[in-house]
Amino acid sequence: MTQQTEPVAKSPAMTKPLEGVPLPDLEQVPDYEQGFWAGTRAGELRIQRCAACGRFRHLPTPMCPECSSLEYDWTTVSGRGTVYSFVIVRHPVHPAIREREQTPYNICMIELEEQEGLRVCSNVLHVAPEDISVGMPVRVTFVPAVADPDVTLPVFLPASDR
Amino acid sequence: MAPNIIPADTNGIRDKAAIVGIGETEFSWNSGRSELQLASEAIKAACDDAGISPQDIDGLIRYDMESNHETLLTQSLGIKNLRHWESVSYGGGAGNATVGHAAAAIAAGYANYVVCFRAANLRSGVRLGRARGPESIPGGADSFAVPWGNMAPAHRFGMFVRRYMHQYGATSRHFGWVAVTLREHASRNPRALRREPITIGDHQNSRMVVDPLHVLDFCQENDGAAAVVMTTAERARELRHSDTLTLVEAAAQGSGPRNDGIIYRPDLAVAESEHTARDLWARARLSASDMDAMMFYDHFTPFGLINLETYGFVQPGEAKDFVEGGENIRFDGMLPVNTHGGNHSEAYIHGLTHVQEAVRLIRGDSTAQPPHKAINRVLSCSSVAQLSGAVIIRRG
Repeated sequence: MTQQTEPVAKSPAMTKPLEGVPLPDLEQVPDYEQGFWAGTRAGELRIQRCAACGRFRHLPTPMCPECSSLEYDWTTVSGRGTVYSFVIVRHPVHPAIREREQTPYNICMIELEEQEGLRVCSNVLHVAPEDISVGMPVRVTFVPAVADPDVTLPVFLPASDR
Repeated sequence: MAPNIIPADTNGIRDKAAIVGIGETEFSWNSGRSELQLASEAIKAACDDAGISPQDIDGLIRYDMESNHETLLTQSLGIKNLRHWESVSYGGGAGNATVGHAAAAIAAGYANYVVCFRAANLRSGVRLGRARGPESIPGGADSFAVPWGNMAPAHRFGMFVRRYMHQYGATSRHFGWVAVTLREHASRNPRALRREPITIGDHQNSRMVVDPLHVLDFCQENDGAAAVVMTTAERARELRHSDTLTLVEAAAQGSGPRNDGIIYRPDLAVAESEHTARDLWARARLSASDMDAMMFYDHFTPFGLINLETYGFVQPGEAKDFVEGGENIRFDGMLPVNTHGGNHSEAYIHGLTHVQEAVRLIRGDSTAQPPHKAINRVLSCSSVAQLSGAVIIRRG
């Protein structure tokens, strides 16, 4: 077996967001995505919401995919949700992940409580890989990106006390 | 607004076009030559198989990820009069979709000899499995994924796999049976890059890359090229393989809503192929039970299970039992799958090798030819986001 290597040692809990990975350039981010980043900078999770039918949507788009309205606003949501799906990254594919030894880390799809199927991609911090599960309740928090203080990233924490 | 999906019930390409030649380069970790060189070699091999000259080609269907543009190819191949060309978007979905586009061009009379091809140094050149460079992101789906470390295909497709496991109780071991079977098929195939047999234990003990995906769930990243030549069914009867026509019976592409960024579709336990499959079977007026073999786009082994379900070979949730032990999906089993070894073990040419293997099976030329039954119809399909494609090849 040429593809095998030794097993990966059990990992410490992930306690902080990733560093050194590419970040959005807020000067270039299109108009219909700006509200998301303005929200995180203000410490709020704002999700695009159709002004006509009231449905939330993410990823942001100029038009409501449900009712075709071009009018929308940015609504602050509770930041509560559950883990819809997740992966644990063991093998680094980016130099910053490899050089700063940031594996393992989790990537989670968080389903927000406001609407079925409304999901954002994020990390759940302060949880060991083996303790994440589908359906796990989480709540949002915000961390400024080290490399660009204008960018604030929403990340999630376990919320088992709900 | 209520969804209003008009059923696909017209099949204007039925049996109009035939695949008359297949060809490829060797598959390797470092081809040592240009992508134009690879494309020229594979297309020449496919023309030789068909019994035509590359100069006879008057239609080209390329992947939009392909570096070889029409001008380069007309120059290199000496094409006298290129009448029709198209680029089909997305990697994995495109393999089968190029054949559907070529069949449509032939049925419409736009071209006589159409070539579908893919040529790339996906190992020694830019590797798709690696993350992008350190530059910032100008918005779009990546800006909502990469800052959290979601930066490789396995990260996105792993989300499907986890959800699928959660919903249906499938385990990594089930994916392992797909890996073991594909490797066994590859062990019989001299073209294959990975030929050493593996056991279910090897799979389970292999390095975890992106949990739930072990390294033995991944396809290869390699250099190489593949091509198919197509023409009308009538013209095919005058060519080298006139004794065994391989006709394009039906083709489909499909996508549902919310496919940007791959991981936002409504239900991650199924794939975009639910749309492709619905239209394919409606157009063909056939079902999974009419297929003698299935070639599926195996970028990751769990998508064997997902394809079995979305194309209706088994009911949702039943694939894990169907693949258990590998007997059903082996070349000598009930439903032979990826008898060439697939992306997993033969080579990763973005799905075009699956179309070639469908042709080989009908000709009786596979290195893992099913000994127990005639192969008259083969489904070659993909399930991947964002857009999937499928084609039915049948004996004429």
